[in-house]
Amino acid sequence: MSPHKDEHLDLCPGYVLGNLAEDERGMLEAHLQEGCAVCEVEINRLGRGAWAFAAATPRLLEPSSIRAHVLDTLRRESGQGEGRAGSRAPFPLRQVVRALGWMAAAAAVVFAVFAHTEWRLAGRLSRDLAGSRENVSRLSQEIQSAREWAALATSPQTRVVDLKPTPSGPPQLHARVTYDPATRRAIVSVTDFVTPAGKDYQLWAFTKSGSASLGLVRADSSGRALIQLSNAGDPFTLSAFAVSLENAGGAAAGAAPASPLVMIGRI
Amino acid sequence: MTDQERDRLCVERMRAGDTRALEELYDRHNGLLYSVVLRIVSVPGGAEEVLQEAWLQIWRGAATYNAARGTVGAWLVTVARNRGMDRIRSEGPGAERAARVDAPHPTEDASANAAHRQMSERVGRALEKLGPQHRQVVELAYFGGLTQGEIAERLNTPPATVKSWTRQALLRLSELVPQEEWT
Repeated sequence: MSPHKDEHLDLCPGYVLGNLAEDERGMLEAHLQEGCAVCEVEINRLGRGAWAFAAATPRLLEPSSIRAHVLDTLRRESGQGEGRAGSRAPFPLRQVVRALGWMAAAAAVVFAVFAHTEWRLAGRLSRDLAGSRENVSRLSQEIQSAREWAALATSPQTRVVDLKPTPSGPPQLHARVTYDPATRRAIVSVTDFVTPAGKDYQLWAFTKSGSASLGLVRADSSGRALIQLSNAGDPFTLSAFAVSLENAGGAAAGAAPASPLVMIGRI
Repeated sequence: MTDQERDRLCVERMRAGDTRALEELYDRHNGLLYSVVLRIVSVPGGAEEVLQEAWLQIWRGAATYNAARGTVGAWLVTVARNRGMDRIRSEGPGAERAARVDAPHPTEDASANAAHRQMSERVGRALEKLGPQHRQVVELAYFGGLTQGEIAERLNTPPATVKSWTRQALLRLSELVPQEEWT
Protein backbone atom coordinates (compact mmCIF):
# COMPACT_ATOMS: atom_id res chain seq x y z
CA MET A 1 0.00 0.00 0.00
CA SER A 2 1.31 3.51 -0.88
CA PRO A 3 1.87 5.54 2.30
CA HIS A 4 -0.60 8.30 3.04
CA LYS A 5 0.74 11.80 2.36
CA ASP A 6 -0.71 15.27 2.92
CA GLU A 7 -0.85 15.78 -0.83
CA HIS A 8 -3.49 13.04 -0.99
CA LEU A 9 -5.67 15.08 1.36
CA ASP A 10 -5.12 18.15 -0.83
CA LEU A 11 -6.67 16.26 -3.73
CA CYS A 12 -9.80 15.14 -1.87
CA PRO A 13 -11.88 18.35 -2.37
CA GLY A 14 -11.31 18.29 -6.12
CA TYR A 15 -12.09 14.58 -6.20
CA VAL A 16 -15.44 15.19 -4.47
CA LEU A 17 -16.29 18.00 -6.91
CA GLY A 18 -14.97 16.05 -9.91
CA ASN A 19 -12.61 18.80 -11.05
CA LEU A 20 -9.17 17.27 -10.60
CA ALA A 21 -6.78 17.03 -13.52
CA GLU A 22 -6.61 13.51 -15.00
CA ASP A 23 -3.22 12.65 -13.51
CA GLU A 24 -4.24 13.89 -10.06
CA ARG A 25 -7.47 11.91 -10.14
CA GLY A 26 -5.60 8.78 -11.23
CA MET A 27 -3.09 9.15 -8.42
CA LEU A 28 -5.78 9.58 -5.73
CA GLU A 29 -7.93 6.73 -7.06
CA ALA A 30 -4.93 4.37 -7.03
CA HIS A 31 -4.23 5.41 -3.44
CA LEU A 32 -7.89 4.89 -2.45
CA GLN A 33 -8.04 1.46 -4.06
CA GLU A 34 -5.23 0.35 -1.83
CA GLY A 35 -7.38 1.34 1.16
CA CYS A 36 -6.65 4.57 3.01
CA ALA A 37 -8.93 5.19 5.99
CA VAL A 38 -7.75 8.81 6.37
CA CYS A 39 -8.70 9.75 2.81
CA GLU A 40 -11.94 7.74 2.96
CA VAL A 41 -13.01 9.70 6.04
CA GLU A 42 -12.00 13.00 4.41
CA ILE A 43 -13.93 12.20 1.22
CA ASN A 44 -16.99 11.15 3.20
CA ARG A 45 -16.85 14.42 5.13
CA LEU A 46 -16.29 16.63 2.09
CA GLY A 47 -19.05 14.72 0.27
CA ARG A 48 -21.46 15.83 2.98
CA GLY A 49 -20.40 19.41 2.30
CA ALA A 50 -20.96 19.06 -1.44
CA TRP A 51 -24.39 17.56 -0.73
CA ALA A 52 -25.31 20.52 1.51
CA PHE A 53 -24.25 22.91 -1.26
CA ALA A 54 -26.35 21.03 -3.84
CA ALA A 55 -29.35 20.73 -1.51
CA ALA A 56 -29.38 24.49 -1.07
CA THR A 57 -29.66 25.16 -4.82
CA PRO A 58 -32.54 27.61 -5.41
CA ARG A 59 -35.53 25.54 -6.58
CA LEU A 60 -36.56 26.40 -10.14
CA LEU A 61 -39.98 25.90 -11.65
CA GLU A 62 -40.02 22.54 -13.39
CA PRO A 63 -42.22 22.14 -16.51
CA SER A 64 -44.89 19.52 -15.77
CA SER A 65 -44.23 17.81 -19.11
CA ILE A 66 -40.85 16.50 -17.97
CA ARG A 67 -42.35 13.93 -15.61
CA ALA A 68 -44.43 12.27 -18.32
CA HIS A 69 -41.53 12.23 -20.80
CA VAL A 70 -39.06 10.77 -18.34
CA LEU A 71 -41.41 8.13 -16.96
CA ASP A 72 -42.65 7.09 -20.43
CA THR A 73 -39.06 6.55 -21.52
CA LEU A 74 -38.39 4.48 -18.43
CA ARG A 75 -41.49 2.36 -18.95
CA ARG A 76 -40.44 1.67 -22.52
CA GLU A 77 -36.98 0.81 -21.24
CA SER A 78 -38.40 -1.66 -18.71
CA GLY A 79 -40.86 -3.12 -21.24
CA GLN A 80 -43.99 -2.14 -19.29
CA GLY A 81 -45.28 0.28 -21.93
CA GLU A 82 -45.51 -2.38 -24.64
CA GLY A 83 -47.85 -4.54 -22.53
CA ARG A 84 -50.38 -1.79 -22.17
CA ALA A 85 -50.25 -0.86 -25.84
CA GLY A 86 -50.92 -4.49 -26.82
CA SER A 87 -54.11 -4.68 -24.76
CA ARG A 88 -55.71 -1.83 -26.74
CA ALA A 89 -56.12 -3.73 -30.05
CA PRO A 90 -59.76 -4.86 -30.55
CA PHE A 91 -59.60 -5.27 -34.34
CA PRO A 92 -58.83 -9.02 -34.62
CA LEU A 93 -61.91 -9.89 -32.55
CA ARG A 94 -64.14 -7.70 -34.74
CA GLN A 95 -62.88 -9.38 -37.90
CA VAL A 96 -63.56 -12.82 -36.44
CA VAL A 97 -67.14 -11.81 -35.54
CA ARG A 98 -67.83 -10.53 -39.04
CA ALA A 99 -66.40 -13.64 -40.62
CA LEU A 100 -68.06 -16.32 -38.57
CA GLY A 101 -71.45 -14.72 -37.81
CA TRP A 102 -73.67 -15.26 -34.80
CA MET A 103 -72.13 -18.54 -33.65
CA ALA A 104 -68.72 -17.04 -33.53
CA ALA A 105 -70.17 -14.02 -31.70
CA ALA A 106 -71.64 -16.32 -29.07
CA ALA A 107 -68.28 -18.03 -28.78
CA ALA A 108 -66.72 -14.62 -28.37
CA VAL A 109 -69.14 -13.82 -25.54
CA VAL A 110 -68.20 -17.07 -23.81
CA PHE A 111 -64.58 -16.24 -24.40
CA ALA A 112 -65.08 -12.72 -22.98
CA VAL A 113 -66.64 -14.13 -19.79
CA PHE A 114 -63.78 -16.59 -19.51
CA ALA A 115 -61.25 -13.86 -20.19
CA HIS A 116 -62.90 -11.60 -17.60
CA THR A 117 -62.65 -14.37 -15.00
CA GLU A 118 -59.05 -14.95 -15.94
CA TRP A 119 -58.40 -11.22 -15.82
CA ARG A 120 -59.79 -11.01 -12.27
CA LEU A 121 -57.68 -13.99 -11.27
CA ALA A 122 -54.64 -12.39 -12.86
CA GLY A 123 -55.38 -9.17 -10.99
CA ARG A 124 -55.52 -11.04 -7.68
CA LEU A 125 -52.28 -12.85 -8.48
CA SER A 126 -50.71 -9.57 -9.51
CA ARG A 127 -51.63 -8.02 -6.16
CA ASP A 128 -50.25 -11.08 -4.35
CA LEU A 129 -47.08 -10.75 -6.38
CA ALA A 130 -46.79 -7.06 -5.52
CA GLY A 131 -47.17 -7.94 -1.83
CA SER A 132 -44.50 -10.63 -2.15
CA ARG A 133 -42.20 -8.16 -3.88
CA GLU A 134 -42.60 -5.72 -1.03
CA ASN A 135 -41.74 -8.50 1.43
CA VAL A 136 -38.69 -9.39 -0.63
CA SER A 137 -37.66 -5.72 -0.73
CA ARG A 138 -38.04 -5.43 3.02
CA LEU A 139 -36.05 -8.62 3.62
CA SER A 140 -33.39 -7.48 1.14
CA GLN A 141 -33.07 -4.25 3.06
CA GLU A 142 -32.70 -6.13 6.33
CA ILE A 143 -30.04 -8.35 4.75
CA GLN A 144 -28.26 -5.28 3.39
CA SER A 145 -28.31 -3.71 6.84
CA ALA A 146 -26.95 -6.93 8.40
CA ARG A 147 -24.22 -7.03 5.73
CA GLU A 148 -23.26 -3.43 6.48
CA TRP A 149 -22.89 -4.24 10.17
CA ALA A 150 -20.97 -7.43 9.37
CA ALA A 151 -18.69 -5.44 7.03
CA LEU A 152 -17.65 -3.38 10.03
CA ALA A 153 -15.74 -6.40 11.36
CA THR A 154 -13.81 -6.91 8.13
CA SER A 155 -13.25 -3.30 7.02
CA PRO A 156 -9.51 -2.47 6.73
CA GLN A 157 -9.91 0.81 8.61
CA THR A 158 -11.83 -0.71 11.54
CA ARG A 159 -10.27 -0.10 14.96
CA VAL A 160 -10.64 -2.58 17.83
CA VAL A 161 -10.51 -1.06 21.30
CA ASP A 162 -10.29 -3.39 24.31
CA LEU A 163 -11.46 -1.67 27.46
CA LYS A 164 -9.52 -2.46 30.66
CA PRO A 165 -10.90 -2.32 34.21
CA THR A 166 -9.76 0.76 36.14
CA PRO A 167 -8.45 0.38 39.72
CA SER A 168 -12.00 1.05 40.96
CA GLY A 169 -13.64 -1.36 38.48
CA PRO A 170 -14.42 -5.07 39.03
CA PRO A 171 -11.50 -7.01 37.43
CA GLN A 172 -13.74 -9.62 35.79
CA LEU A 173 -15.36 -7.10 33.37
CA HIS A 174 -14.63 -7.55 29.66
CA ALA A 175 -15.63 -5.10 26.93
CA ARG A 176 -14.54 -4.54 23.34
CA VAL A 177 -15.51 -1.75 20.93
CA THR A 178 -15.13 -2.39 17.18
CA TYR A 179 -15.24 1.03 15.52
CA ASP A 180 -15.22 2.09 11.87
CA PRO A 181 -14.02 5.72 11.54
CA ALA A 182 -15.36 6.00 7.98
CA THR A 183 -19.00 5.34 8.93
CA ARG A 184 -18.69 6.10 12.68
CA ARG A 185 -20.47 2.85 13.36
CA ALA A 186 -19.42 0.68 16.28
CA ILE A 187 -20.29 -2.67 17.82
CA VAL A 188 -19.78 -3.06 21.56
CA SER A 189 -19.55 -6.54 23.05
CA VAL A 190 -19.38 -7.11 26.80
CA THR A 191 -19.12 -10.20 29.02
CA ASP A 192 -19.35 -10.73 32.77
CA PHE A 193 -21.28 -7.51 33.21
CA VAL A 194 -23.25 -8.37 36.35
CA THR A 195 -25.09 -5.21 37.30
CA PRO A 196 -25.43 -4.53 41.04
CA ALA A 197 -28.96 -3.80 42.30
CA GLY A 198 -29.98 -0.16 41.85
CA LYS A 199 -27.13 0.49 39.40
CA ASP A 200 -26.56 0.64 35.62
CA TYR A 201 -23.42 0.45 33.54
CA GLN A 202 -23.16 3.42 31.15
CA LEU A 203 -20.98 3.63 28.02
CA TRP A 204 -19.13 6.86 27.17
CA ALA A 205 -17.18 8.34 24.27
CA PHE A 206 -14.42 10.76 25.27
CA THR A 207 -13.28 13.49 22.90
CA LYS A 208 -10.75 16.27 23.14
CA SER A 209 -13.48 18.60 24.31
CA GLY A 210 -15.41 16.37 26.72
CA SER A 211 -17.55 13.27 26.87
CA ALA A 212 -20.83 12.00 25.44
CA SER A 213 -23.06 9.18 26.63
CA LEU A 214 -23.44 6.24 24.22
CA GLY A 215 -26.24 4.72 26.33
CA LEU A 216 -26.72 2.17 29.09
CA VAL A 217 -25.25 -1.33 28.89
CA ARG A 218 -28.04 -3.77 29.70
CA ALA A 219 -26.51 -7.25 29.83
CA ASP A 220 -28.54 -10.48 29.85
CA SER A 221 -28.66 -12.88 32.77
CA SER A 222 -25.31 -14.37 31.73
CA GLY A 223 -23.69 -10.90 31.78
CA ARG A 224 -23.41 -10.61 28.00
CA ALA A 225 -24.56 -7.80 25.69
CA LEU A 226 -24.00 -6.82 22.07
CA ILE A 227 -24.75 -3.19 21.23
CA GLN A 228 -24.84 -1.56 17.78
CA LEU A 229 -24.04 2.15 17.66
CA SER A 230 -24.85 3.99 14.45
CA ASN A 231 -22.73 6.99 15.50
CA ALA A 232 -20.01 6.43 18.10
CA GLY A 233 -18.36 9.80 17.49
CA ASP A 234 -16.19 11.95 15.24
CA PRO A 235 -12.95 10.08 14.38
CA PHE A 236 -11.06 13.39 14.34
CA THR A 237 -11.81 14.13 17.99
CA LEU A 238 -12.58 10.73 19.56
CA SER A 239 -9.88 9.67 22.04
CA ALA A 240 -11.33 6.88 24.25
CA PHE A 241 -14.32 4.73 25.15
CA ALA A 242 -15.19 4.14 28.80
CA VAL A 243 -17.78 2.58 31.12
CA SER A 244 -19.02 4.00 34.41
CA LEU A 245 -21.22 2.40 37.06
CA GLU A 246 -24.05 4.86 37.64
CA ASN A 247 -27.19 4.90 39.73
CA ALA A 248 -30.10 3.17 37.95
CA GLY A 249 -31.10 5.11 34.83
CA GLY A 250 -27.62 6.51 34.18
CA ALA A 251 -25.92 9.84 34.88
CA ALA A 252 -28.53 12.51 35.41
CA ALA A 253 -26.84 15.17 33.31
CA GLY A 254 -26.11 12.77 30.45
CA ALA A 255 -23.07 14.74 29.31
CA ALA A 256 -20.49 13.40 31.77
CA PRO A 257 -20.15 10.43 34.13
CA ALA A 258 -21.51 11.12 37.62
CA SER A 259 -19.66 8.13 39.12
CA PRO A 260 -16.12 6.78 38.73
CA LEU A 261 -15.14 4.99 35.53
CA VAL A 262 -14.87 1.21 35.85
CA MET A 263 -13.39 0.55 32.41
CA ILE A 264 -11.53 2.58 29.80
CA GLY A 265 -9.89 1.95 26.44
CA ARG A 266 -7.94 4.58 24.52
CA ILE A 267 -8.10 4.75 20.72
CA MET B 1 -39.85 5.22 8.56
CA THR B 2 -37.54 8.15 7.74
CA ASP B 3 -37.17 9.68 4.26
CA GLN B 4 -33.74 8.06 3.94
CA GLU B 5 -35.18 4.63 4.78
CA ARG B 6 -37.99 5.14 2.28
CA ASP B 7 -35.44 6.10 -0.38
CA ARG B 8 -33.27 3.05 0.31
CA LEU B 9 -36.35 0.81 0.09
CA CYS B 10 -37.15 2.36 -3.29
CA VAL B 11 -33.66 1.52 -4.54
CA GLU B 12 -34.16 -2.09 -3.40
CA ARG B 13 -37.47 -2.21 -5.24
CA MET B 14 -35.86 -0.75 -8.36
CA ARG B 15 -33.28 -3.53 -8.23
CA ALA B 16 -36.24 -5.94 -8.31
CA GLY B 17 -37.62 -4.18 -11.42
CA ASP B 18 -40.38 -2.11 -9.79
CA THR B 19 -40.82 1.08 -11.87
CA ARG B 20 -43.24 2.53 -9.30
CA ALA B 21 -40.31 2.78 -6.91
CA LEU B 22 -38.53 4.99 -9.40
CA GLU B 23 -41.65 7.14 -9.73
CA GLU B 24 -41.61 7.63 -5.97
CA LEU B 25 -37.97 8.69 -6.03
CA TYR B 26 -38.69 10.94 -8.99
CA ASP B 27 -41.51 12.74 -7.17
CA ARG B 28 -39.41 13.23 -4.04
CA HIS B 29 -36.16 14.34 -5.68
CA ASN B 30 -36.64 15.57 -9.22
CA GLY B 31 -37.32 19.15 -8.12
CA LEU B 32 -33.77 19.41 -6.81
CA LEU B 33 -32.28 17.44 -9.71
CA TYR B 34 -33.97 19.75 -12.20
CA SER B 35 -32.75 22.86 -10.38
CA VAL B 36 -29.15 21.60 -10.25
CA VAL B 37 -29.13 20.46 -13.89
CA LEU B 38 -30.72 23.67 -15.16
CA ARG B 39 -28.10 25.73 -13.28
CA ILE B 40 -25.47 23.69 -15.13
CA VAL B 41 -26.84 23.54 -18.67
CA SER B 42 -28.82 26.86 -18.57
CA VAL B 43 -31.35 25.75 -21.21
CA PRO B 44 -34.67 24.15 -20.09
CA GLY B 45 -34.78 21.85 -23.14
CA GLY B 46 -31.24 20.68 -22.44
CA ALA B 47 -32.08 20.11 -18.78
CA GLU B 48 -34.99 17.86 -19.77
CA GLU B 49 -32.74 15.76 -22.01
CA VAL B 50 -30.07 15.50 -19.34
CA LEU B 51 -32.65 14.48 -16.74
CA GLN B 52 -34.05 11.81 -19.03
CA GLU B 53 -30.54 10.36 -19.45
CA ALA B 54 -29.86 10.67 -15.72
CA TRP B 55 -33.02 8.84 -14.63
CA LEU B 56 -32.31 6.09 -17.15
CA GLN B 57 -28.84 5.75 -15.68
CA ILE B 58 -30.33 5.68 -12.17
CA TRP B 59 -32.78 2.96 -13.22
CA ARG B 60 -30.10 0.82 -14.85
CA GLY B 61 -27.53 1.47 -12.15
CA ALA B 62 -29.64 0.94 -9.02
CA ALA B 63 -27.31 -1.91 -8.04
CA THR B 64 -24.34 0.46 -7.94
CA TYR B 65 -25.74 2.60 -5.13
CA ASN B 66 -23.60 2.24 -2.00
CA ALA B 67 -25.27 3.40 1.21
CA ALA B 68 -21.91 3.77 2.98
CA ARG B 69 -21.01 6.63 0.61
CA GLY B 70 -24.05 8.80 1.32
CA THR B 71 -27.79 9.14 1.04
CA VAL B 72 -29.87 8.09 -1.96
CA GLY B 73 -30.68 11.77 -2.52
CA ALA B 74 -26.98 12.63 -2.75
CA TRP B 75 -26.41 9.76 -5.16
CA LEU B 76 -29.26 10.94 -7.42
CA VAL B 77 -27.92 14.49 -7.49
CA THR B 78 -24.42 13.23 -8.26
CA VAL B 79 -25.66 11.17 -11.21
CA ALA B 80 -27.70 14.08 -12.59
CA ARG B 81 -24.88 16.59 -12.09
CA ASN B 82 -22.37 14.31 -13.80
CA ARG B 83 -24.67 13.96 -16.80
CA GLY B 84 -25.04 17.74 -16.88
CA MET B 85 -21.25 18.11 -16.73
CA ASP B 86 -20.82 15.66 -19.62
CA ARG B 87 -23.23 17.81 -21.63
CA ILE B 88 -21.56 21.17 -21.06
CA ARG B 89 -18.01 19.85 -21.34
CA SER B 90 -18.89 18.59 -24.79
CA GLU B 91 -20.28 22.01 -25.71
CA GLY B 92 -17.61 24.53 -24.86
CA PRO B 93 -14.45 25.57 -23.02
CA GLY B 94 -14.19 26.57 -19.37
CA ALA B 95 -14.65 30.30 -19.97
CA GLU B 96 -18.08 29.71 -21.51
CA ARG B 97 -19.08 27.44 -18.64
CA ALA B 98 -18.02 30.06 -16.11
CA ALA B 99 -20.22 32.60 -17.90
CA ARG B 100 -23.21 30.29 -17.45
CA VAL B 101 -22.60 30.15 -13.68
CA ASP B 102 -22.69 33.95 -13.59
CA ALA B 103 -25.90 34.15 -15.64
CA PRO B 104 -29.11 35.25 -13.86
CA HIS B 105 -31.11 32.37 -12.48
CA PRO B 106 -34.46 31.43 -14.06
CA THR B 107 -37.67 31.85 -12.08
CA GLU B 108 -37.48 30.31 -8.65
CA ASP B 109 -40.19 28.00 -7.39
CA ALA B 110 -42.03 29.92 -4.68
CA SER B 111 -43.56 26.70 -3.37
CA ALA B 112 -40.18 25.28 -2.30
CA ASN B 113 -40.70 23.89 1.18
CA ALA B 114 -39.57 25.41 4.46
CA ALA B 115 -36.88 22.77 5.04
CA HIS B 116 -35.27 23.65 1.74
CA ARG B 117 -35.41 27.38 2.44
CA GLN B 118 -33.80 26.82 5.85
CA MET B 119 -31.02 24.75 4.28
CA SER B 120 -30.41 27.47 1.68
CA GLU B 121 -30.17 30.10 4.40
CA ARG B 122 -27.81 27.97 6.51
CA VAL B 123 -25.54 27.30 3.53
CA GLY B 124 -25.59 30.98 2.61
CA ARG B 125 -24.65 32.03 6.16
CA ALA B 126 -21.92 29.39 6.39
CA LEU B 127 -20.33 30.59 3.15
CA GLU B 128 -20.70 34.26 4.09
CA LYS B 129 -18.62 33.65 7.20
CA LEU B 130 -15.84 32.21 5.05
CA GLY B 131 -15.87 34.89 2.36
CA PRO B 132 -17.15 35.37 -1.22
CA GLN B 133 -14.15 33.60 -2.77
CA HIS B 134 -15.11 30.34 -1.05
CA ARG B 135 -18.59 30.41 -2.55
CA GLN B 136 -17.13 31.31 -5.93
CA VAL B 137 -14.67 28.39 -6.09
CA VAL B 138 -17.37 25.88 -5.15
CA GLU B 139 -19.89 27.37 -7.59
CA LEU B 140 -17.41 27.42 -10.46
CA ALA B 141 -16.51 23.81 -9.78
CA TYR B 142 -19.97 22.49 -8.98
CA PHE B 143 -22.06 24.30 -11.59
CA GLY B 144 -19.41 25.36 -14.11
CA GLY B 145 -17.37 22.15 -14.14
CA LEU B 146 -14.15 24.18 -14.15
CA THR B 147 -10.97 22.36 -13.18
CA GLN B 148 -8.97 23.73 -10.27
CA GLY B 149 -6.43 25.04 -12.77
CA GLU B 150 -9.13 26.87 -14.72
CA ILE B 151 -10.53 28.37 -11.52
CA ALA B 152 -7.07 29.52 -10.44
CA GLU B 153 -6.53 31.18 -13.81
CA ARG B 154 -9.94 32.83 -13.78
CA LEU B 155 -9.52 34.20 -10.25
CA ASN B 156 -5.83 35.01 -10.82
CA THR B 157 -5.00 32.98 -7.72
CA PRO B 158 -2.45 30.20 -7.09
CA PRO B 159 -3.92 26.68 -7.54
CA ALA B 160 -2.93 25.79 -3.97
CA THR B 161 -5.11 28.63 -2.69
CA VAL B 162 -8.05 27.39 -4.77
CA LYS B 163 -7.63 23.92 -3.24
CA SER B 164 -7.45 25.39 0.23
CA TRP B 165 -10.59 27.56 -0.23
CA THR B 166 -12.49 24.61 -1.68
CA ARG B 167 -11.58 22.38 1.24
CA GLN B 168 -12.45 25.04 3.82
CA ALA B 169 -15.84 25.64 2.18
CA LEU B 170 -16.76 21.97 1.95
CA LEU B 171 -15.69 21.28 5.53
CA ARG B 172 -17.77 24.18 6.80
CA LEU B 173 -20.76 22.99 4.78
CA SER B 174 -20.32 19.39 5.98
CA GLU B 175 -21.08 20.61 9.50
CA LEU B 176 -24.63 21.41 8.30
CA VAL B 177 -25.33 17.73 7.53
CA PRO B 178 -25.21 15.50 10.64
CA GLN B 179 -23.50 12.15 10.04
CA GLU B 180 -26.68 10.28 11.03
CA GLU B 181 -28.55 12.00 8.18
CA TRP B 182 -25.83 11.08 5.72
CA THR B 183 -25.97 7.27 5.79
